[in-house]
Amino acid sequence: LYLLLVLTYPCSAVNTPASRPVTRRSKSYGRSCVEAPSYFWQTPGHLTVLKIPTSRGAARSQLITNKVDPEHIALLVKNEWKLSYVTPLHHFRHTQLKSYSKHLAAFIAAEKQQGVAVEVGLEVGFKVTFTAVLGLAETDEDAETVFIQIQSKPVFAAAADAPKVVWRGWLTCVNGDPEYLRSLPPDFVSLPLFCTSGPESLTTLVKSWFERAFDCNFGSLALNSTTLNWLAALWTGCHSTCNIRYLKLAWSLPTQPPLDVSYTVNPQDAWELWNSIHPEESTDDKIDIKEVQSFINGLETHFFRHFKIYLSAGTLVKVSTALGSAHLDGKIKIGNGDYITTLLTLLTESALLKMPT
Amino acid sequence: MADLSNLAGLVSEPSGEIDSSANNRSLRLAEKERRKGEADPFGLAAKYLSRVEAGTVVRGNDELERNMVRVETVALSKGLPPEVITVLLDLALSLNAGTANCTRVLKFLIPATVVPQEAVVKGVSWLCVGKMPMNAQVLFVRWVLTVFDLIDCKDNLRSIYGFIFSFVTEENLCPFICHLLYLLTMREHGELLNKWLNFFGRQPFLTQLLALYKVYRPDLVTLSLPSRVRTGFKNHNSTWKVALSAVQRKNKGAVLVDQSLSLDVKEKPSTRKRVRCHLCNTVKSFTEHSLNSNKKVFRLQELRSFKELLENIHNIELPAQMGSLLGSALALHYLDCVQDESASLRLNFWLGHSLQEEFLLCPVDGSSDNTSEACRFLSTILFSQQFLQEGFSSTESFLYKFLSVWDGCLLRPQILDLLSDIPLMPSFYMHKLLFEPLKQLYFTSTVFFKCSLIECLNSMLVKWLTWHSVSALEGGLDISLNSNSTMTMTLSGFMDSVMELVRFVGLLASEGLRLENCHVLLLNQTLAFYETVCDMFLKYSLPLIIMPPAGVFYPALFATDSVSVDRLGYIMYRYRKNLTLAKKQEQQREQTFHISRNTYKEFNRNLQAMVNSMWNSWWSIPGSDIEIDKDLIALSKVAEPWCRFDLIHHPALFSYAIEFHRSCWPEKKNVDLGSIKIGKYWNWYMEFLFNQGFDGLNNFIRTNTGHSSGLSSQDDRQPMT
Repeated sequence: LYLLLVLTYPCSAVNTPASRPVTRRSKSYGRSCVEAPSYFWQTPGHLTVLKIPTSRGAARSQLITNKVDPEHIALLVKNEWKLSYVTPLHHFRHTQLKSYSKHLAAFIAAEKQQGVAVEVGLEVGFKVTFTAVLGLAETDEDAETVFIQIQSKPVFAAAADAPKVVWRGWLTCVNGDPEYLRSLPPDFVSLPLFCTSGPESLTTLVKSWFERAFDCNFGSLALNSTTLNWLAALWTGCHSTCNIRYLKLAWSLPTQPPLDVSYTVNPQDAWELWNSIHPEESTDDKIDIKEVQSFINGLETHFFRHFKIYLSAGTLVKVSTALGSAHLDGKIKIGNGDYITTLLTLLTESALLKMPT
Repeated sequence: MADLSNLAGLVSEPSGEIDSSANNRSLRLAEKERRKGEADPFGLAAKYLSRVEAGTVVRGNDELERNMVRVETVALSKGLPPEVITVLLDLALSLNAGTANCTRVLKFLIPATVVPQEAVVKGVSWLCVGKMPMNAQVLFVRWVLTVFDLIDCKDNLRSIYGFIFSFVTEENLCPFICHLLYLLTMREHGELLNKWLNFFGRQPFLTQLLALYKVYRPDLVTLSLPSRVRTGFKNHNSTWKVALSAVQRKNKGAVLVDQSLSLDVKEKPSTRKRVRCHLCNTVKSFTEHSLNSNKKVFRLQELRSFKELLENIHNIELPAQMGSLLGSALALHYLDCVQDESASLRLNFWLGHSLQEEFLLCPVDGSSDNTSEACRFLSTILFSQQFLQEGFSSTESFLYKFLSVWDGCLLRPQILDLLSDIPLMPSFYMHKLLFEPLKQLYFTSTVFFKCSLIECLNSMLVKWLTWHSVSALEGGLDISLNSNSTMTMTLSGFMDSVMELVRFVGLLASEGLRLENCHVLLLNQTLAFYETVCDMFLKYSLPLIIMPPAGVFYPALFATDSVSVDRLGYIMYRYRKNLTLAKKQEQQREQTFHISRNTYKEFNRNLQAMVNSMWNSWWSIPGSDIEIDKDLIALSKVAEPWCRFDLIHHPALFSYAIEFHRSCWPEKKNVDLGSIKIGKYWNWYMEFLFNQGFDGLNNFIRTNTGHSSGLSSQDDRQPMT
């Protein structure tokens, strides 16, 4: 299905920078929330629409391998990651990663052997590696990303067999809200976004080790449609510099039975639509949420013209391009390391919004 | 034969039999009572069961049955102590109480704490006797597998490894025995392999055990085993799972055991128990501990008394997960004392996360079955907050989020209690965060919810005022919001907030009373609120006096129940006291504050309305709030409308007037209430009324009319200016 461009859209270039009260944090457990504004107040009934910026910078390609070890980037791309949020880690130190590796390995082995048995003997030998992925952090407040890899060597395997990677996960923070990060006492490290890939049983074990070791808590991180809309627009905007190959959108419509719509747009057409809303040569670097909305509206209108179905009545559940994909239920893929910062900034933001205040 | 003759008697002499059975019943009841009085019927039952010998008649043995039921009930509700486990296991496996009872006992053998190893060893020896039917043997081994983690120590069990091993030849027992051996196997048991190899089969449970042997003694197991064995041991705990977990939850803290024998962690990682009760109490091994290793440290959760806490207060180590301390009074003492920012933040993060995951982002599946647990959780928070006399900030911000999605029904008592703990906040936020959602809930809910909410806001106001009176005593007018918060509030800011709250409740109450036709309960909750409000100056030294709105005042004045009218009398009396003091202080220029002229005006108007209608029988004075067109009143054809609300005719007091009249003139057929007003009868009537316990009215009338003083000084009766 290709998009024909017939509509033009008024360009709204008005930026409304988010004005937020200053966050302060006092010592008391009775610290009033009024001091550290929780952004839920502004929109009663919408628990997740918080301090979402109404505008943000366009996605810029950066040669990520100049900043970050290419081997590390290779670990992050291509996999599908399941997202969670984590409350700040207490007494986490990047200098202790080696000892964490040992502790986590021991913990997993102990947990696996507890009680009975199904897999004991199969994965006795766990090897855990904590690695700091330096360079992903964008600001001084961002803590460096930590990558965790679990390898297992089955007991009954031949001696020559190489240990197999059974689980991967990483904790990150990219362009985290500086005021929030600054408000934390120094013995806390905030790495709010946790991405995992591997069996759920291991994920649970890793989480419970973190919870015990750093007194933090995990919760699953579902994305919302606004985030997906942003991603669709930001990724489309990159087409002029990097071929996104396709813009695939999936909607779910609340009909009986539910109707799933998969909508693939020619990248050039999508880009032209986007460019008509937000001209590339516009002096203003910022993209407004209204522009994103009209971009999505344009796509929906086009679909209606052909199929007489209002996509806006449903929910956008998935966005994917060659640069990456994101699903409403909190699963992402990173297709191209050069645009990783934009994606992680958005996800960090979503994770921070879930933080209990 | 005896039975038969009894039966015949029953038929021939029905009346006599009924009598005697009634007698019997009362005797039985007395017997029961006596037994209850005796110490510990459970102990007696256990003792009885320990004395059951081989060859006891089981069928029709009521005594055995009764004791069995008694133990069974306790077992399923509280679990059994170790010594009773030993007794019962012996009773069951010896088959002294019959085969049926053997399986029955095994099924309710739920340990409260631990299982003594000796009991299991003895059980295995009964297994060796070989008298037990196969299903009982299987049940026994399954039971051992289920409670394996609860067995206090396992060294003796390991020493009879060989005996247990011999049962692998039993076809039916084999899978369970393999499982048990798997759990018991140590390195030295690899020696048994030679025997093992004789009856090797391809069953998964055998392979599994063999795989373990291979790990320990690869030299002996030369067979090639599949590198991935899919199926291992199954769960055998189904018989006891529910009861065991219920008992363990009840006795939580005593033994924390992961009794789910499955390693298949496919189920959602967000099971609720994870967050709440199973927090890890251990100390961080690699961070803090190493730093403090040179001096003796005490773990907070190990301290038992306040004295211990005081003695070790400088060497206390916090637990790895702060959430585990919630609800522990000693820990809260400590936290309150040391004011460790990180510690309280950790606690708050955990609390906020749990509340959020539990109530805001909760999955849709099966939330109803967990309300009791949620209720316990909230109660623990409430306990902690009441202990600290301060709300946690995470509960506070949770409530703001929760109020907008709350149906006003779920866990109402707890949520409202938490709400009343909300600390003072600037009036600017109150509307958005509190009043808007509450207003919506209030106007769409039942009268019962309305009453609860007014009660909750009353308790919130009392807490704010108490906080104020404490901090005002301690020092200046600026009050800090929390014990050590960086944010302070000026007195005028505080007054603004209180004013907003009182005004809000005034609005809720007057509209609510209108909607609910002046529901008595709602009226009383409202008046309770105004009992707090009218005394703010005298009781809490807050120079603020706010009068109730007309929508509250008049429904109370014209209420049909005497309690409300009396309460209103008390409230007006207290208002007068507060205003008099305020005026006095103002005149003496002791205070810089100023009560507005309007407040006095409002008070006087209410006072006049009350005195006039109740005392002077001048109802509906022209120019007053409640002026009604004369023709309109005439239409109602009420005789003497002006005196319908005086102390005699007031609907709330009418019945007292009648009663008084009856006792004064018992012979009079025609009731003429007007005669009460004459001469000494009036004074007697007043006395009669006040003797009914109407202290509020009494005070009101004494201060405002000078009735009982007899002198009725003119000044005193004057409205205040």
